[in-house]
Amino acid sequence: MIQVENLQKYFKKTVKQPGFMGSVKSIFHSEKETVKAVDDISFHVDKGEILGFIGPNGAGKSTVIKMLTGILTPTAGNCIINGQNPQKNRKKYVKEIGVVFGQRTQLWWDLPLTETYAVLREIYEVDEAKFTKQMEFLNEVLELQPFINSPVRTLSLGQRMRADIAASLLHNPKVLFLDEPTIGLDVVVKDNIRRAISKINREEGTTVILTTHDLEDISSLCKRIVMIDHGKKVYDGSLYNLKQKYGQMRELNFEAADENSILALDYENAFASNGLGEGDLTFKADGTMVTVAFNTDKISVEQMLNYTLGTVHVKDINVKDADIEEIIRRLYKGDAEHGGSI
Amino acid sequence: MRKFLKTYLPFTRAGIHGATAYRANFIAWFIGDIMYCFVMYYVWRAVFASSGSSTFNGFSMTDMVVFLFVTNLTGYLTESDGSFAVGEEVRDGNIAMRLIKPVSFDMTFLFNELGQKSLTFTLIFVPMLAGVEIYKYFTYGRVMFSIGTFALYMLSVAMSYMFSFYMNVCFGFMAFFLKNLWGFNILKSSILRFLSGSVIPLAFMPDTLRSVMEWLPFSSLSYTPVMIYMGKYSGQEAALRLMLQFVWVIGFYIISKIILSAALKHVTVQGG
Ligand SMILES: Nc1ncnc2c1ncn2[C@@H]1O[C@H](COP(=O)(O)OP(=O)(O)O)[C@@H](O)[C@H]1O
Ligand SMILES: [Mg+2]
Repeated sequence: MIQVENLQKYFKKTVKQPGFMGSVKSIFHSEKETVKAVDDISFHVDKGEILGFIGPNGAGKSTVIKMLTGILTPTAGNCIINGQNPQKNRKKYVKEIGVVFGQRTQLWWDLPLTETYAVLREIYEVDEAKFTKQMEFLNEVLELQPFINSPVRTLSLGQRMRADIAASLLHNPKVLFLDEPTIGLDVVVKDNIRRAISKINREEGTTVILTTHDLEDISSLCKRIVMIDHGKKVYDGSLYNLKQKYGQMRELNFEAADENSILALDYENAFASNGLGEGDLTFKADGTMVTVAFNTDKISVEQMLNYTLGTVHVKDINVKDADIEEIIRRLYKGDAEHGGSI
Repeated sequence: MRKFLKTYLPFTRAGIHGATAYRANFIAWFIGDIMYCFVMYYVWRAVFASSGSSTFNGFSMTDMVVFLFVTNLTGYLTESDGSFAVGEEVRDGNIAMRLIKPVSFDMTFLFNELGQKSLTFTLIFVPMLAGVEIYKYFTYGRVMFSIGTFALYMLSVAMSYMFSFYMNVCFGFMAFFLKNLWGFNILKSSILRFLSGSVIPLAFMPDTLRSVMEWLPFSSLSYTPVMIYMGKYSGQEAALRLMLQFVWVIGFYIISKIILSAALKHVTVQGG
């Protein structure tokens, strides 16, 4: 469905010289600096798949989406989506895709939503019966009814985002691109949007690419993720594998009987012979509440519990799987340290 | 054609909605323009008084009044803020939202602006023009309005607008390369005002300068329709001027297409 081969996008940036003389100089001669926003990325997505595209700020996620949706022309490389090249016949290509940028709206600011949708229906040439059916469906999953007659200008962020997602799905696209669709939204709206995406994917077989910062989005929607950093792909595979590979972290949480007894704890010393590396063990205490994150490759759960229970009196205790946030933090860090790909 | 209209008429509707949402701005701007007309009226009256004759390069003071107001009214219909709108969207990256829709880029702007223009036409142009005609009736003592002349004038205005639109789209696309159009736009509009003959009638210019300016495309922005309206052109000359306008419209249409396809390769949508 989507094939991306060696995609690259370089931006030329003018380097600003400081001061007044710098500005004057830059009129005649300006130094250009090349930013490798996307640096040789390849991946494939199958029909009906939901791919999560993750990476820290400035990694190049939005730039990839902009190239895939035909907004930007790649510096080098190819992408073929649904058998078409986005840069070739733009009008024909965009008819079959839906796009949402979380930070912008594609709705007409001054029109009520119903009118916007009517406009879109004309543009995409959706016939009346299909339109009514699709509208009903979107109304149901995205709960648009309460604000469907309000001008876009007056909508809250959460309402606007739902309206935007509906707008991108009116013509029942084969591929849906979502760039940070849940950014800045509250938990209820986020959940609503996730359910909508997953329902569209299930019922219509829509292929979805989604970028996000929110790891909840990933764990509730995507089986597969591609992670990029500094314009390069650093991971491509299932979420499950990622957890297997980097998921040896556990978190021990307990409440001590009194604050003084916590002073007796010295994990560093206790496990000094386990050959701990950076990040293998972290200790945090807040009053009587204690959190210890540890790498099970180095310290077994049994060892950890034995030591803890043997040193302090605890009121309550539990051991948790590391969440994917933690995994990803480690992955980024690993990449930064070794400078290579994983 | 039907499909074309069905696709783009909604943009016109959106344009009308948009214009009504900002009517306060619009009224302030309109009042400013009327005041400008009156200031110019007094300036020209002083010029006429000091020249000591009742006509000046073939213009009577009544002609001058008609010229001032009709030039201004014509401007309402022919001015296009395409360069501003395109430039702004390039700068803030919202152009991306246009590019992801299966519509042609220039047509969405054109039809949107036509929405605003239709509003201006009915709410401002028609009543004001009626005012000008009433003024003429009282000064000349007879009805001067001719449907035929008016039709030619409207045809000329339509072409002025199309020319203005495509020229501005060309300017707007410069934003793809310049990233910040603001100063550039101000410079452009003051030069245009002069070249289009809307500040000083071209008839008042020295002969060589006047003929150069008449052949340049910019005079077709304002001067040509106004002269047609005022009946200053003979039938033959009017036909020639209309032809020239048509040529310039086609010319700038083609140039804008070339610039657009070059510009789209350079889009660097900033942010988000
Ligand atoms: N139009 C542009 N001009 C110059 N640099 C840009 C432009 N757009 C993005 N960049 C740079 O490219 C990199 C990737 O940006 P982006 O794709 O927006 O990242 P993400 O969406 O992952 O946060 C950043 O370093 C950003 O500064
Ligand atoms: Mg981004």
